[in-house]
Amino acid sequence: MKYYIKLGLILFVITAIASGILAFLNGKTQPIIEENQVQAQINARLDVLSAAGFFVEDSIKIAKKQDANPLKIQKEVSENWFKYFRGFDADSLLIGYTFVASLYGYSSEVQTMVGVDTNLVVKKIKIISQAETPGLGANCVKEDFQKQFDGKSEKQLAVDKDGGEIESITGATITTRTIANSIKIGLNHLSKSVEIEEVD
Amino acid sequence: MLREFTKGFIKENPVFVMALGLCPTLAVTSSVVNAIGMGLAATFVLVFSNIIISLIKDFIPTKIRIPAYIVVIASFVTIVDMVMHAYLPAIHKSLGLFIPLIVVNCIILGRAEAFASKNNVLKSILDGFGMGFGFTFALVVIGGIREVLGAGQFLGMNVMWTSYKPMLVAILAPGAFIVMGLLMGLMNLKKKK
Repeated sequence: MKYYIKLGLILFVITAIASGILAFLNGKTQPIIEENQVQAQINARLDVLSAAGFFVEDSIKIAKKQDANPLKIQKEVSENWFKYFRGFDADSLLIGYTFVASLYGYSSEVQTMVGVDTNLVVKKIKIISQAETPGLGANCVKEDFQKQFDGKSEKQLAVDKDGGEIESITGATITTRTIANSIKIGLNHLSKSVEIEEVD
Repeated sequence: MLREFTKGFIKENPVFVMALGLCPTLAVTSSVVNAIGMGLAATFVLVFSNIIISLIKDFIPTKIRIPAYIVVIASFVTIVDMVMHAYLPAIHKSLGLFIPLIVVNCIILGRAEAFASKNNVLKSILDGFGMGFGFTFALVVIGGIREVLGAGQFLGMNVMWTSYKPMLVAILAPGAFIVMGLLMGLMNLKKKK
């Protein structure tokens, strides 16, 4: 009996020391990690809407969408808010919007930072997070692919196979479609919120 | 003494000879950068867990040695994970899930059990570095072949002639098995001679 208590105590001491060290390091690295993420978002926003001097965050409530796939876990309530940023130039003139478009692609959630002008025409996009198939879908991060989104409006945003003007990546139509659709959905939300603003 | 260091490269190479840690080997070798990142992260964990385990081996009753080793290894993996996330976010992002998985990398627990728990600190450090670099070496060789064939690049730079059509299969999952299998066969062939 005493032997087993001793075993437990030794394990307890080891885990206690380990968790103490980890807690200390976590306190040191957590703020840096969070700052990096905020900074990365700011950089991505500036990248897609380079003329902007500063951004103002805003959001619009969107109707809860019925998920086509019943197996997929229902999204959190907070995701019923569509978040976007208004970009202003140095003279505080509204020059466009940025938002993160996100949909599940072939093997991962593909997140795209999108910059649009005040007419809701895409200025520039930047894939900020993806884990699609290397060599196929992962080619979506290539400059040449992302460039073709420049100057497209909501109507033109569809893969060429679906009658749109986005040329799909060889062997990765699903990834291409995902990106085009996610931007389209975002633009749709954005147009509603812009309408509301004009009524105000 | 030096043998403890050099044996990890060829004679007891963890991947090609002992066939340990194959899961990360297959998963992260689609590019050389990933291979180096994974190899060095695993080496760090391996060396430090070897040090700690050879230090505390006399205090740990044999009955609970495995959970004790796992706690030590898991702690170092978490440290690597947090530090990389904070200071090397780009590599952390591309290695993703495979950093936490170093915990269950058989090489590390294998060396703890087979070597560090029976040898002194100095030998364990040498063993850790040797095995770690042997693992990194194996990953870089596989990653290099796959990246050159599958993407026409090495470390992100184009190395093949311009009309080269990348052999996609090499950077997809089957390519990892094919390249590793051929390399293992080559190693065995050389040993037989």
